[in-house]
Amino acid sequence: MPESVPQNATYMIAAYILVGVILTGYALSLYLRARRCLRP
Amino acid sequence: MSMLRVGRWITAIGLVLLAGVYLRALSFTPVEQSQGLAQKIFYLHVPAAIWAETAMILVGLASIFYLFTKDPRLDRFAASSAEVGTVFCAIVLTTGPIWGKPIWGTWWTWDARLTLTLFLFLLYLGYLLLRSAVPDPAMRARYAAVLGICGMCEVPFIHLSVYMFPTLHPMPIVLQPGRPKLPGSMLTTWLLSLGVFTVLYVGFVVQRYALSYLREQLEAAGEVGHA
Repeated sequence: MPESVPQNATYMIAAYILVGVILTGYALSLYLRARRCLRP
Repeated sequence: MSMLRVGRWITAIGLVLLAGVYLRALSFTPVEQSQGLAQKIFYLHVPAAIWAETAMILVGLASIFYLFTKDPRLDRFAASSAEVGTVFCAIVLTTGPIWGKPIWGTWWTWDARLTLTLFLFLLYLGYLLLRSAVPDPAMRARYAAVLGICGMCEVPFIHLSVYMFPTLHPMPIVLQPGRPKLPGSMLTTWLLSLGVFTVLYVGFVVQRYALSYLREQLEAAGEVGHA
């Protein structure tokens, strides 16, 4: 009988969302910090 | 085009390509039979780990050269690489436990690889705190350079820890002597992801470097505090 694949999609989704949030958040923080510096 | 704008463009391209990696990893890469969908965390966790460690090596190298040349560009690069490395290290330390829970049955274990990676993250935080705590630019750069060199010395131990100590963490399956033990389509997705993380590292560092330069100019003009 073939072994069943573990059902753990929630962990994968959580990790992918988290990485997206961290990278986009950091990109946004760099943008905002630069904008604050450039403000006259 | 200014350096800041170049960095923004590279980052934007990196984020768009990251969406492409998500699509390929989630829809066009086969599911590993023994670990299930959680194995796909590998495509983000490992490239982030490689860049978290490489960023610290670059901090260390820039720091060594800074101590010899006193070139402020090297110090600026080290500070930028350290901040970006902290972000990648945070990704490693959050995706690792999310992957570990369904596979090992625990979020965290105090084994050598995990503990040394946590130590790397703390070194990064210490480096950034040190930079923000010392007001004199020359002294700040010198102290930070020494800590950066210490951080670089830790990286080989992280990589070799799985060979030196008993650990739950798997052995390297891509960065190992001989051929990677990974099917072709999975290896392609992983290599694409590594490429995208490389683009993001470059984009972030270029932006952060330009930001440091901008702040130094304002600091010299007496408009803002030190970064």
